[in-house]
Amino acid sequence: MNMLKIDGQDGGGQLLRTSLSLSLVTGEPFSMTAIRGQRAKPGLMRQHLTAVNAAIEISGGSADGAVLGSTELVFAPQRVKGGDYRFSIGTAGSTCLLYQALLPALLLANEPSTLRLEGGTHNPMAPTFDFLSECFLPVLQKMGADVELELERYGFYPAGGGSLLAKVEPCTGGLKPIELLDRGKPLRREIRVISAHVPDSVGEREGAIVLGVLEAAGWGVEGVSVRSVDSAGAGNVVCAALQSEQVCEMTIAFGERGKSGKRVAHDAAKAMRDYLGTGAVVGRRLADQLLLPIALAGAGEFLTMKPSKHTLTNAALIQQFLDVKIDISEQEDGQWKVSVSPSA
Amino acid sequence: MITRKRVVLGFIGTNLDAAGSLSQPERWESWRPTVSLCQHPDFVVDRIELFTEKAHRALSKTITEDIRTTSPETEVHVHVLGIRDPWDFQDVYEGLFDFASGYDFDPEREDYLVHITTGTHVAQICLFLLTESRRIPGQLLQSEPPRGRKGQTRSSKHPSPGKFSIIDLDLARYDRLATRFAAEHEQAQDFLKDGIATKSATFNLLIEKIETVALRSTEPILLMGPTGAGKSRLAARIFELRQQRCGLNGNFVELNCATLRGDTAASMLFGHKRGAFTGAQNDRPGLLREADKGLLFLDEIGELGADEQAMLLRALEEKSFLPVGSDKPMHSDFQLIAGTNRDLRKSIGSGNFRDDLFSRINLWTFDLPSLADRREDIAPNIEYELAERARTHGHTVTFNKEARDRFLTFAKKVDTPWLGNFRDLNAAVTRMSALAPRGRIRVQEVEEEITRLQANWQRPDEANRANFMDCLNDLLTEQQISTIDPFDRPQLAYTISVIRESRTLSEAGRKLFAVSREKKSKRPNDADRLRKYLAKFGLSFEAIR
Repeated sequence: MNMLKIDGQDGGGQLLRTSLSLSLVTGEPFSMTAIRGQRAKPGLMRQHLTAVNAAIEISGGSADGAVLGSTELVFAPQRVKGGDYRFSIGTAGSTCLLYQALLPALLLANEPSTLRLEGGTHNPMAPTFDFLSECFLPVLQKMGADVELELERYGFYPAGGGSLLAKVEPCTGGLKPIELLDRGKPLRREIRVISAHVPDSVGEREGAIVLGVLEAAGWGVEGVSVRSVDSAGAGNVVCAALQSEQVCEMTIAFGERGKSGKRVAHDAAKAMRDYLGTGAVVGRRLADQLLLPIALAGAGEFLTMKPSKHTLTNAALIQQFLDVKIDISEQEDGQWKVSVSPSA
Repeated sequence: MITRKRVVLGFIGTNLDAAGSLSQPERWESWRPTVSLCQHPDFVVDRIELFTEKAHRALSKTITEDIRTTSPETEVHVHVLGIRDPWDFQDVYEGLFDFASGYDFDPEREDYLVHITTGTHVAQICLFLLTESRRIPGQLLQSEPPRGRKGQTRSSKHPSPGKFSIIDLDLARYDRLATRFAAEHEQAQDFLKDGIATKSATFNLLIEKIETVALRSTEPILLMGPTGAGKSRLAARIFELRQQRCGLNGNFVELNCATLRGDTAASMLFGHKRGAFTGAQNDRPGLLREADKGLLFLDEIGELGADEQAMLLRALEEKSFLPVGSDKPMHSDFQLIAGTNRDLRKSIGSGNFRDDLFSRINLWTFDLPSLADRREDIAPNIEYELAERARTHGHTVTFNKEARDRFLTFAKKVDTPWLGNFRDLNAAVTRMSALAPRGRIRVQEVEEEITRLQANWQRPDEANRANFMDCLNDLLTEQQISTIDPFDRPQLAYTISVIRESRTLSEAGRKLFAVSREKKSKRPNDADRLRKYLAKFGLSFEAIR
């Protein structure tokens, strides 16, 4: 059998999840070697194993090497079936990443699905629930996806204990191509601080700092919301969001032990100031996440900031599975254009 | 593929696992040994069996919930052990022992890890003991907090679950330790062999076994083997090895039982009270007492008298004995090595050795091969002897090549008997070294030594026996001799030799029937009896004279 071979040496968990997504939607088995090759602890960790097992469950597939610490995996899906699924991720692993890994396959299934995912909902190094529901999903909905995502409980690292409830309707006819070449008029600007078991004063101070930085950058902010939520463990997330006519961008920074609220606020604010400054339509993270849905649609293009190495790896992987051509080129104004077209 | 389940057993730590206040979410920022164990990204605990006390119900509830939250893969069971005082050894051991006895361990499908980071020191010791004795068929698990301040690692800003290590009590599994053990074994075996690089596989295997037994057992050892095979040297080395490795701190006491005679035999071994017998001027402690907490080597144990055998058996079994003439038992706790060059089983058969004593000392029996059975070790032993001589006499002696080859060829020849074993070899080397001009042994010295050795091995009685039988050839033809049983030939030869020394037939008869004639009341006719005997072989007094 001519199986797709993927070298995981330079990739991380995302390379594995994207491979699983692509394999599920194409029905194409793959083998991956040197999984998370350059990480301090290489191989499958618990959260990755949960993703592999979930992929097996929704597709009736099988895998070799699906054990903890394994650096080699062979995955072969069967037909993806919609239904009611529930997956729990240990070590407060990100439910959002798992959701993104399973969503494309469930969209293309013949049956509707509900998906309950338990673990972390707001993890550093992963999109948060807020980002998914306000930035990522609206684009997918424009492309024809009928999806709903609800946050049942907040879960922060390291306690976890959060829960997402997702509904996915079959996307008959497939995803439609999309063009995001212009932000359109700004509709809403928001600074949001979400805290669990952290004094309100901390959140208020962080909000004020973000406001200060962004106002200096010429941003008229309508409001700062400071939310105190319940969760098993403590958490503190600072977000700055700009909702435009065509797209929404949200920058996020996490409060951590040993990091001052001031620095957290500055991180979120500066990331938004960068986005504003480049004039890009699609932010760096969203660009990365949209590559796969657009490739599934077969065509589309968007303007973004200088792509990360992550995005380039992702594009290469997608072209291994799908008959599409992904062009990423720098424009005269310093923006970058990503175009997906059917390969000749 | 069947995946084995990982099951952790351990106490809920009343301090570390509680991490201050239970209800506060800050507990998640702290390192909590039991919870953190379930938070490793590369380590799944499939089930955890937690031990606690009644008083800590709230704590165990929180810990259970926290583990379920952060580690949905883990099944949590809490066991309230009936421990009243967690610092009381007996109490804790009993509680854990009862748990272990009642627990359905399934080592075919599950791996058990005993977490010893939590619980009192007493609890940790008890868990160790139960694991070490395999009451709990698992390995120990030790966890530690992350380095750096307050639960953070330097590389990652997020609270880390710290580190853990699995301790397998099978020490041979650790490469570095295994290497060390191997080196230590080799050292011990080398020591037993006096550092001689012996090549005989049988002998080396024997030494390997002796090493194990010498270090692990304090029971009697029986060394069998011919004179000069090195029994007493080996016994001394075993003593020194035990002194170094096993903390044996008494004396090495050595006795050849063949030298014991009469009254003094028991007294030598068991001591006596003053005045116990004629000549017993003072109390004497005896060798058994001298060997208290040490090692007694009794060579030629087969020569020990019947009374001494009985006393020795009692001393071995009860660690006490009665000195001669005393009614106060003397105590001595000694280790015994016995040596023998004869098969003690035969001595038992003939009633000369006690069966029960033999059973007692026949636990570890080693048969030392004779030098003739390990000729490959001759060369290393010669080297050793020469080196020893250089060390003690201060000058080096060497063979020239030709001489060395000559001697080795002779030494290894199958018909070189080496009757005195290593004693002969050592003597040969000593003599050649002494005679070697300017420290160089030449072919000449070797040839002389070979002649000497062969002469030594020519036993005088053997030579006589040959001559003594010659008289048959004088009187009878080969044909005639061949009709006589070999059993009868010496009798005839002796008869002939007596007749040749006697003037008359009667004189010869008196000598030959000296015993039986005394018992006869009637005057015996010895001459007639002898004449008839000779006639059977066609011989007469006259013909012989």
